[in-house]
Amino acid sequence: MIPLHASIHRKMLVVMLATAAFALLLTAAAMLYYDLRSFRQLWVTDLTAQADIIGFAATPAIEFEDRQAAADYLESLKGKPSIIAAAIYSANGSQFATYTATGGKAVEFPALPALDGYSVKGNELDLFKRIVSGQEILGTVYIKAQFDIFGRLLNYLGIVGAVMVLSLLASLLIARRMQQKVTQPILEIAGVARTVMDKRDFSSRASKTTEDEIGVLVDAFNGMLAEIEHVIDERKRTQFALEDSESRLLELNAELEQRVEARTAQLAAANKDLEGFSYSVSHDLRAPIRAIGGFAVLLGEDHQTELGEEAKRKISIIRSEAARMGQLIDDLLAFSRLGRKALEPSDLDMAEVANNVYVRLNHADPNRTVDFRLGSMPHAWGDRALFEQVWMNLLSNAIKFSAKKKQPVIEIGGISAENEHVYFVRDNGAGFDSRYQAKLFGVFQRLHREEEFPGTGVGLALVHRIVTRHGGRVWADGKPDEGATFHFSLPKEASDGGV
Amino acid sequence: MEEFDQVEILLVEDNALDAELTMRGLQNQKLANKITWVKDGEEALDYVFRRGAYADRAEPGPRLILLDLKMPRVGGIEVTRAIKGDERTKRIPIVIMTSSKEESDIIDSYNLGANSYIVKPLDFESLAEVARQAGFYWLAINRAPN
Repeated sequence: MIPLHASIHRKMLVVMLATAAFALLLTAAAMLYYDLRSFRQLWVTDLTAQADIIGFAATPAIEFEDRQAAADYLESLKGKPSIIAAAIYSANGSQFATYTATGGKAVEFPALPALDGYSVKGNELDLFKRIVSGQEILGTVYIKAQFDIFGRLLNYLGIVGAVMVLSLLASLLIARRMQQKVTQPILEIAGVARTVMDKRDFSSRASKTTEDEIGVLVDAFNGMLAEIEHVIDERKRTQFALEDSESRLLELNAELEQRVEARTAQLAAANKDLEGFSYSVSHDLRAPIRAIGGFAVLLGEDHQTELGEEAKRKISIIRSEAARMGQLIDDLLAFSRLGRKALEPSDLDMAEVANNVYVRLNHADPNRTVDFRLGSMPHAWGDRALFEQVWMNLLSNAIKFSAKKKQPVIEIGGISAENEHVYFVRDNGAGFDSRYQAKLFGVFQRLHREEEFPGTGVGLALVHRIVTRHGGRVWADGKPDEGATFHFSLPKEASDGGV
Repeated sequence: MEEFDQVEILLVEDNALDAELTMRGLQNQKLANKITWVKDGEEALDYVFRRGAYADRAEPGPRLILLDLKMPRVGGIEVTRAIKGDERTKRIPIVIMTSSKEESDIIDSYNLGANSYIVKPLDFESLAEVARQAGFYWLAINRAPN
């Protein structure tokens, strides 16, 4: 059949030619049938006439019993090659004369039938014809002839073949012409489709040349191409926009990073300046304070006799205030130094550190009767000296603020939470109003009057700074006159120690 | 007589009030016969090495130097380096008395051969006490080679 991948052009051609060939064959077959039929009819008629002529001519020879003359008549059939044999029978049925075509095989002459007529056997025809003169049957002419039906058939087929070839060629030419009208638009669509697929060029369009189904197809195809082109354009535009915004984002990021870097540097510089400033201020303030206090002492000593009690009281105020200011400066100095000191972390047995500090504090005033409860505490990772400072400040606060209670209780301990260790110092002392909680850890922030509980307000700020540098947090709970609990946490993973 | 007039303590201090308080503290304790006060490092070196204004000062030199670190022109560190680096003077004990608690200052001082490092207390009484103890140790207890 037609190969599947053959072009529509070829397929149509094959269809058209096959149709034409089939029609031609059908026509030829019908014509052949008719022709063969009429040919045989004609032939029988012709042979009958021949037999009549021979019979008429041979009448005198039969009447006069001239067998030689009858044979001569029969001999005249030589001119008809299709006649193989012939005979004349006398009225009584005996053979009067016979004829056999030269080169032909021996023929067995049949007995005389009762009636005239012919019979066909294969391609041979036997024909009998009575010789009638007046009312009397004189005899019968017999002719045996051979159809040359195959020769005729071959001839015929040759002609039919030639006609078919010619007409197929003609129809091929016509089909070619005609089918172009049909296939051209299809081929064009196919060409455009191929271009689109090969070059990914969705801007090509098929041209519409007809208004039939192919025209509809072209319209639909072009519509789809337009749709695809639109979608692709849209996608490209989106992509461009995306890339554009992406690059802008990167730019912005870089800019932001740069700005953060610059700010960080500025901040670090400012921080350093501030620390340097507070260091040098507190450092340079020491000498005048020493002088104020010192010369107040000298004043008291060197002019003892000239001074009254009130003067001495005032001198003592100058001395104690100078001393307090000195303490403030020392604390401030310690606080500023903390920012510059590099952490030296190690594994800390917090219970041991806290207990040592407490023992040292208690040593200073052995008369105190604090109920000190040391709970268990997880180890931590931190700078030992700094955590000694933390415990020092928290515990001395607890001692200080619980000192006025009849039975001071100080409890310390720690637990391990999910990501951090949490430590606490609890006392039953003066406590604080939780509204001022935020102020607890600021430098020089105090919640009690100096007369009540002396202090500079640096201790908890120091605690806050140390714990924060270790990556932890500090917080506190309290109620006035019921006590306070200070907590601090440290991460289980060691922090880098940056401020 | 000469021994009696010998300078026993050289106080190097740029702050006049600090110097007065220190001297007062030392005098109260009757530790030294004579205390000489110089105002900066340059003057201190002139004194120790008998140069400039002190070219004619009597021998021998001080038995103890109380030295401030932060001074104009020549600081205490340079003074320590010069005195401890000189064969003639390296045996004189130097006690650094300063407001600086800087670790680097402490390390530098000891590395250069300073004998003590004392952070000046804030109040006069403590300052006087510290000066007295330093003087007492280096002049009365410590035995120096003859």
